[in-house]
Amino acid sequence: MLSLFLIVIAAFFFTGIVVRTKSLASGRKGPGIMQPIKDVIRLFKKGAVYSKTSSIIFQIAPTIYFSSVVMAMLVVPFGQSKGLISFNCDFIFFAYVLALGKFFSIISALDTGSSFEGMGASREALYSMFAEPALFILMGSFALLTGYTSFQEIFAALHIGSYLSYALATLATFVLVMIAMIENSRMPIDDPKTHLELTMIHEVMILDNSGFDLGLLLSAGYLKFAIYGALIVNLFVGMVDYQYAIPLFFIIQFLMAVVVGLIESFMARFRMNHNAQFIVALTSVSLLIFFGAILILGKFN
Amino acid sequence: MIDVLLIVFIITLFYLSIANRLLSYTKVLAVQGVLLFFVVFLQLNEINTLNLVLIMLETIVFKAVAVPMFLAYLLRRNNITREAEPYLPNFVSLLITTAIVIATILLSNSIKDTHLDKMFFVVALSTIFSGLYIIASRRKIITHVMGYMIIENGVFVLSLAVGNEMPHLVNLGIMLDIFASVLILGIFLNKIGDVFKDVDVEQLTNLKDY
Repeated sequence: MLSLFLIVIAAFFFTGIVVRTKSLASGRKGPGIMQPIKDVIRLFKKGAVYSKTSSIIFQIAPTIYFSSVVMAMLVVPFGQSKGLISFNCDFIFFAYVLALGKFFSIISALDTGSSFEGMGASREALYSMFAEPALFILMGSFALLTGYTSFQEIFAALHIGSYLSYALATLATFVLVMIAMIENSRMPIDDPKTHLELTMIHEVMILDNSGFDLGLLLSAGYLKFAIYGALIVNLFVGMVDYQYAIPLFFIIQFLMAVVVGLIESFMARFRMNHNAQFIVALTSVSLLIFFGAILILGKFN
Repeated sequence: MIDVLLIVFIITLFYLSIANRLLSYTKVLAVQGVLLFFVVFLQLNEINTLNLVLIMLETIVFKAVAVPMFLAYLLRRNNITREAEPYLPNFVSLLITTAIVIATILLSNSIKDTHLDKMFFVVALSTIFSGLYIIASRRKIITHVMGYMIIENGVFVLSLAVGNEMPHLVNLGIMLDIFASVLILGIFLNKIGDVFKDVDVEQLTNLKDY
């Protein structure tokens, strides 16, 4: 229950901090921290325009996308307190409820009949497909390491002691940050600032959405970032008391937002054909985490 | 701590398989040298001090500094183009390297020998095989030398696993290192990049015996 509030609060500020970091890094003052939220509120006041060629799928897809992200948010725990929903193997539920939302956004992009949106949908599907094994091998090796299968029990039992587990936590943080970047279509994979449809991935899929629907899609994006940030926080605050854990949550979310902003300021987007190999490299790294988990358990020697 | 360093060592192999430029190959070789330096320091705590100092000097001087810098110098001097030009796309290279690592883990898991340190065994075997793969899949002679350096790092890791019992093996590994340096010197002295207008090994197939 606690995690729900914390994630929503973090989502309010996350994208604002990213935008502010980017503008500070490029020597501008930039918009206020709350500007993305104001944009969403403005969009929520508007109605939506639907093309005559699109069907009911295009109209319901943003709602399903947003609700799938909210469902995924309910599963995420915080330290010792469970998420609103918690059951065995809920990380599989987490991954596939997000995938359901993504599926609907892909078929709604195909539904518009625009060739650009079909292209963006195909890229998004490919990249999420490559990112999926990385997440599952990561969570699977944590499940193996702790002997539990639900998010809350895994994170509560995960305690960092030896050098090897420090290395595994670092690698896991890296993999999770990169999966968050892929899922949100941010910089090394996709450039949110680009104005050329041929180089877009996520932006080109939502070109036809307007007004209320666009607001839903944007706010789902903000929430997604905060959800992945919360997962990373959970790696570190398993056993910590609340009076330290809650400030730590906001500090780590803030740091992650700054890191995302800095990456977007100082890196160029990868070439499209380099994206796939980069994402598969994440899978290889999570295989190493799996290997390290086996080493810690002593099943290897 | 040694496990952490060795896992980072495997990550450098993954990076090597998707690296695009020859300069990043030399940087990865330097990083591997530094990693091996620390592994030597932590692992070989039972051999005599003089030998340890010799081995550590060799890893930091030859593996981490001299050879990568010399390779980078060769790249500039012989006007070798900066791309690696693999036969296969990098994506396939990454998949093959990952498959190599998984295969060595499975292989070493099936060995029932208590004397063998499995971690070293996995890292050494996967390094040797990915070095072989890099030699087989890249077009230029200089990349063949780099692949040989990687194999040689793998042999060194394998010798470290038994280094406390048999320090001679580590010294043999160092001999291999110096031999490889002579190999690079050969490229340098023969100015292969200059003499053949391009250093493509394809042209070696034209050599005929009359």
